[in-house]
Amino acid sequence: MTRTLREVPKYVYLTLVALVSVAPLYFMAVSATNSTQDVLASRMWPGSHLLENWQTLTSQQDVGAAMYHSTVNAVLTTVLALVVSSIAGYGFEVYHSPNKDRLMWVLMLAMMIPFAATMIPLFQLFADFGMVNSSFAVVLPVIATPLLILMFRQSARSFPHEIIEAARMDGLREFSIFWRMFVPTMRPTYAAAAVITFMAAWNNFLWPKVILVKSTVQTMPMLISNFSAGYVIDYGALMLAVLIASLPTIVIFFVLQRSFVAGFTGVVK
Amino acid sequence: MKKFRTGLVVASTATLALSLAACSSGDSTDSSSGGATGGDAMGNTLTVWAWDPNFNIYAMQAAEKIYQKDHPDFTLDIQEVTWDDVQTKLTTLAQSQEYDQLPDIFLMQNNAFQKNVINYPDIVTDITDSGVDFSQFPAGVTAYSTIDGKNYGVPFDSGTAINAMRTDVLEQAGLTIDDFTDITWDQYETLAKQVLDKTGKPLLSGQAGSSDMILMMLQSAGASLFDDQGNPTIVDNAALKAAITVYAQMVKDGTFSEVNSWDEYIATLVNGTAASAINGIWISGSIQSAEDQSGKWAVTDLPALDGIDGATHYSANGGSSWAVSSNADVALAEDFLKSTFAGSTELYDEILPASGAVANWLPAGDSAVYSEPQAFFGGQPIYSDVLKFAAEVPANNTGAYYYEARDAVSAAITKIINGTDMDSALQEAQDNVEFAMN
Repeated sequence: MTRTLREVPKYVYLTLVALVSVAPLYFMAVSATNSTQDVLASRMWPGSHLLENWQTLTSQQDVGAAMYHSTVNAVLTTVLALVVSSIAGYGFEVYHSPNKDRLMWVLMLAMMIPFAATMIPLFQLFADFGMVNSSFAVVLPVIATPLLILMFRQSARSFPHEIIEAARMDGLREFSIFWRMFVPTMRPTYAAAAVITFMAAWNNFLWPKVILVKSTVQTMPMLISNFSAGYVIDYGALMLAVLIASLPTIVIFFVLQRSFVAGFTGVVK
Repeated sequence: MKKFRTGLVVASTATLALSLAACSSGDSTDSSSGGATGGDAMGNTLTVWAWDPNFNIYAMQAAEKIYQKDHPDFTLDIQEVTWDDVQTKLTTLAQSQEYDQLPDIFLMQNNAFQKNVINYPDIVTDITDSGVDFSQFPAGVTAYSTIDGKNYGVPFDSGTAINAMRTDVLEQAGLTIDDFTDITWDQYETLAKQVLDKTGKPLLSGQAGSSDMILMMLQSAGASLFDDQGNPTIVDNAALKAAITVYAQMVKDGTFSEVNSWDEYIATLVNGTAASAINGIWISGSIQSAEDQSGKWAVTDLPALDGIDGATHYSANGGSSWAVSSNADVALAEDFLKSTFAGSTELYDEILPASGAVANWLPAGDSAVYSEPQAFFGGQPIYSDVLKFAAEVPANNTGAYYYEARDAVSAAITKIINGTDMDSALQEAQDNVEFAMN
């Protein structure tokens, strides 16, 4: 009994923190059903304007197309980034050499270059290839990120070298070792990397905004930005757009939540 | 080891091919046109960048229909691009010299016009000899898009400033809108205190750290942050000092309520926590979203600065103009703009009631649509009133460093309100702008 009582302050504290964290999300969800005037008056309970907001939103913006393009870009980025970065991270660790370490240093330095500095030459490059407005131009610059490579390298470090040696002795090919031994063991790392990459790709704004010139290929963040740029902003419909845009990342996170934590705390015990 | 490498090559080639296939299937129609938007070989399509479906995009669509009457094959390809994105894209395209990605026509904020034309002269076309009669626009408005005597823009929406007031709140304080017409800021402040005492409401509200209000006061006196040579005139600028003094006093008295964001500013108007707004006419759109306040608003002119030469009751904030890009089908773009935004009362008659886009094109004001009484504003024909204001607005010298100067002045205002001496804060602002210019 005393033990339960001792736990009370902890739970009160955690409940408060949870409420503070959830409040903005709650406000977003509730505002999607309210009119502009209600949103501006910070009304905190559900209203009856959901249908109206949906009509306003869809009459001005092609939400379906934006969701489609966001999904294509984000899924493509996630799949390619996981493949490329995990092979790179594995390679850096397993086929270790001093020169590869130096290359890794260069990669780490590349992390420090702000994107804005490389944006213009990158645009020039893609424009010369005739790839303005294509998903490929959105995806390609972000599939090999130093952060992911580093993450996979760290997890490859905890992958016992003896297993690789044993597999080699049993006659397994190098690619099969990676594919059949490393990948299944590192599933939580992949899950964590997938969550990070998908969220970053889904929310990516600056580069798509520059390289996607046509409105017909715009992504959800661009749609929201367009929707909030008018002289008169419909806040209810805007909140609905934000709500729709955040659903996929919420779903992905909850599906992969357990692995996400394991991916960071370490896989091989 | 070798086999692993071969495997890797195969795997990566496969993923690459897969992703290429995925991209091309998703966007085949778009990538084939490659985004080379402007300068269409077809000769009857113009690509346009604009940013508000209810406002300037709507106006462009209306203009398209009007132009199609005489040119049935004509079409517009309107891309929704927010103003910030237009600026980012212009900068990127100009610096990477990929001019063929520019649309034929794009909308530009008036305040940014000179900056872009001076910094990136290769993105626009000189339309002085396009046949557009620029004298039919207020001189104060064409000045934004005129550089070295050449015209680069057809003015679109008006940024003419209005003083929109809640008549019901004024009534509670024993005042009417006439008490606020043709007055000075000193008189305004006295009345504002009276409203605050009687109703508890500040007359004005605005974003803290924004210099919009100060710059409107400045322009109303024909003053600016730069002289004719483009040198900053932030120090020893009597009008600027007078404007900051008024502003700081109102914030101190509580008659100007500073809020943290643009959304909160709109909320003060829609929720009725502030009793009036001084801003560009485009603010009327947001005001009218509070349907329960219909009939409780009226519009008058601005207070004038006391003791300043050339002080008037008229000013502007914002507004935008159409620019013809360097990648345009120039003849078609010029003819289109000349026949619509610079020559069609029919266009302005349609877009005013539907989108609230108030014209800069003076002949539009003669139309009956402009003189119709507006029920929301107690039956006042505010749009014809605004056009009368527009003709009186003094020109504002924006120059290439307008935004730097505006930011510097905003920072100075925050410091002054927090107690820094005005002269030293303004000197620092001037130094910062001069540093940015060198």
